[in-house]
Amino acid sequence: MKNKAHIVLAALLIVVLGLGVLQGNRVRHLRESTLFYRWILAEATQARVFDDADLGTDAQGKKIMDRELLGAVVETTEKLLPDVALGAEDYDKDGHPLKKLILLARDQQDRAIWELASGNALAQERKDFLAYLREKRLTSVASEVRTGDMYTDQGVGVSLSNIFFGFRMLAANFVWLQVDKYWHEGAVHRMLPLMKTCVTLDPHFVDAYQIGAWHLAYNITAHMLDTPEHLKEWHPKYKARLGKKEIYYYLAIDYLKDGIRKNPRNYKLYFDLGFAVYNLKLKDYANAVKYLSEAIRYRHDKWVPRQLYICLELNGQYEEALAGWQDYLKRNPGHEVAQRFIIRNRGLIKEKQADEAWERAQQTQDPAAAKAAKAEAERLHNEAVDIWQSMTGGSGDIDPFASGRIMRIKALRLIEEERYLEAIAILENARWKSNALFDEASRMIMETKLKAGLPLSVSEKKAVLRREEAERYRNLPPPQTES
Amino acid sequence: MTAILGFLRGSWTISVYTWREGMRKKTLIGFLILSILVIFGSSFMTAFLAQTTVGAGEEEINIETKLIKDICVTAISIFGVLIAIFISASVVPTEVENKVVYTVLSKPVSRFQYLLGKFVGAQLIIIINLALMGGLFFVALYAKERIMPTLLLWAVLLTYFEFLVVSAFTFAVSCTATSAVLPTIAGLFIYITGNLTEYLKDVYNRAGQTGQWFDEMIGQIAYGLYQILPNLQNFSMKNQILYLQPNDPPRDVQIPNLIAYGLVYAVAGYIIAYWVFRRKEL
Repeated sequence: MKNKAHIVLAALLIVVLGLGVLQGNRVRHLRESTLFYRWILAEATQARVFDDADLGTDAQGKKIMDRELLGAVVETTEKLLPDVALGAEDYDKDGHPLKKLILLARDQQDRAIWELASGNALAQERKDFLAYLREKRLTSVASEVRTGDMYTDQGVGVSLSNIFFGFRMLAANFVWLQVDKYWHEGAVHRMLPLMKTCVTLDPHFVDAYQIGAWHLAYNITAHMLDTPEHLKEWHPKYKARLGKKEIYYYLAIDYLKDGIRKNPRNYKLYFDLGFAVYNLKLKDYANAVKYLSEAIRYRHDKWVPRQLYICLELNGQYEEALAGWQDYLKRNPGHEVAQRFIIRNRGLIKEKQADEAWERAQQTQDPAAAKAAKAEAERLHNEAVDIWQSMTGGSGDIDPFASGRIMRIKALRLIEEERYLEAIAILENARWKSNALFDEASRMIMETKLKAGLPLSVSEKKAVLRREEAERYRNLPPPQTES
Repeated sequence: MTAILGFLRGSWTISVYTWREGMRKKTLIGFLILSILVIFGSSFMTAFLAQTTVGAGEEEINIETKLIKDICVTAISIFGVLIAIFISASVVPTEVENKVVYTVLSKPVSRFQYLLGKFVGAQLIIIINLALMGGLFFVALYAKERIMPTLLLWAVLLTYFEFLVVSAFTFAVSCTATSAVLPTIAGLFIYITGNLTEYLKDVYNRAGQTGQWFDEMIGQIAYGLYQILPNLQNFSMKNQILYLQPNDPPRDVQIPNLIAYGLVYAVAGYIIAYWVFRRKEL
């Protein structure tokens, strides 16, 4: 009887442990699938947003396999997923249609991606993914921080293998407190490796990425002078000539891109990359538009689309900016800023059309066509002036930006009539009246003086020299790598 | 039906009695007070950051919230598991030491019924402590964010099922002992090894590289243990859950599976406990 009870209990234990093994395998499969799923989301987003087709090698010289693996996953899923009608936005920059999986990730069809990631159809790719993950040959999961040359030869400071039990995130917080302390002590050299430690411990610490990039792009460079062109060095990784100051902007970009690899659905990182670095620091409006357009795909704050439309305007995409502001006003009735920017972009569109008509008039050989184009330019300029005059501030005065634009149009007419001194006087007035017009008006003044053969001021001469020097180095071919 | 109800009523009486007795333990109250102090203190920890970080604006607030979340999750993990181990290790040995078990078992109460009552009583204590800590965490987070942190409930639920596994195996060890010291140490060991189970897979992956039979055998043993032993790292999702999006397909699938996983191993632990206890000389 006693033995019988033992046998029953032993059998019961074996059955329950067997169930435990089965359930354990199920849970393990789900955990692995979750990792794979998150990697697909991250990698599909990166492949669409970033230009880095080849991710290179890791510190040990092993090839990073994200792109190859994504290629295999995309190839399999192309056969599995149903065909969809493509829209205007569904093509890459080379005009190729985006793959179905990439579209799914972009449109946040997460359930469908999860079904694929956890199903049998991608079993081989999932297996390959886990193998690459073990070998630390993937960058889009929390296995490695690839932030370029910033940390080369500098230790991380924390042995990850010693930290378990899920307390890593807490450790990341305390490391961040230390980063903050070093920053206020001015110990940047200590701060940088700790920043890496922090996001290695907790790759989802988005604020660490944001503030870290802010330190790199703004605070560290605040007291540094712009590097003269001849002192800049060619950086093949960034395909640009950079000085000691400028490199920090690119390190901030690397840092934020690393954050995006680990957190592909967080608008804040795209926003900071587009607005804070590309727009404000590098004046690279095309890239600013690219990343801000990505930011608004995900759940975002109200100001994000506003900054996108401003960058669209800065990039000369007035029609898109106007459409954006109109949409914004529809969603936020009575929004004063939107109303103002709608008028502003209408005025800019008119000016752009007038400039194009003027350009046509200059280029055509047919006097009748030239006359017609000039008349069109004149009409469009008048329409633009009407728009600018309708832009009034709270006190009833004309908006400084609108006022500056009117002056610019007046100056263009005076230049056309070869009344250069009057045009220069108006432009001088305009550039102090409107901040936004300062660079453009300064450039127009220099061009007018050169055209009229008038002497340049010392600062203008320096500006011309700087421009020529920049132009000379810009045209230099990248140095050949030694074989 | 009446027999089943009678059986359950007997077990429930023992559970309630175990719970009342357990809640009076000074060590337990000490752990609870410490955990509450840490959770409450997490709001003050952020003062270090607020004094030093100037100009970061919204990010500063986000870091404060993150600090509160991480400190509270860690505090609940540490103190919660200490409470779970301590209580599971002591409910049976204390009664054996005090000879109360003889009085109880001399009544018409089966050993299975007694043990079930003790186990459920221990779980009641763990659940109530976890609810207290989780509740305070909930309030701290709500006070900071002014948004109902509903995902926190899932995190606390998963934490409980992790503790359930640790508690069940500690309880099994406690049935072999006459004092709470050995099971407490064993409980800590179970928690640590349960979190290191993943390393057994590494051993399996690396074994066989030399091509020697002994090496391969070690690999096979490691793989067998990896399959059978409970892997507490499976519950690591509880740490990430607070940062996931509201609609996250893997989370929705993983939570019920993790609950089932915890329950299966808890039953296994309980069977071992009963197997040991039914042969115990009492």
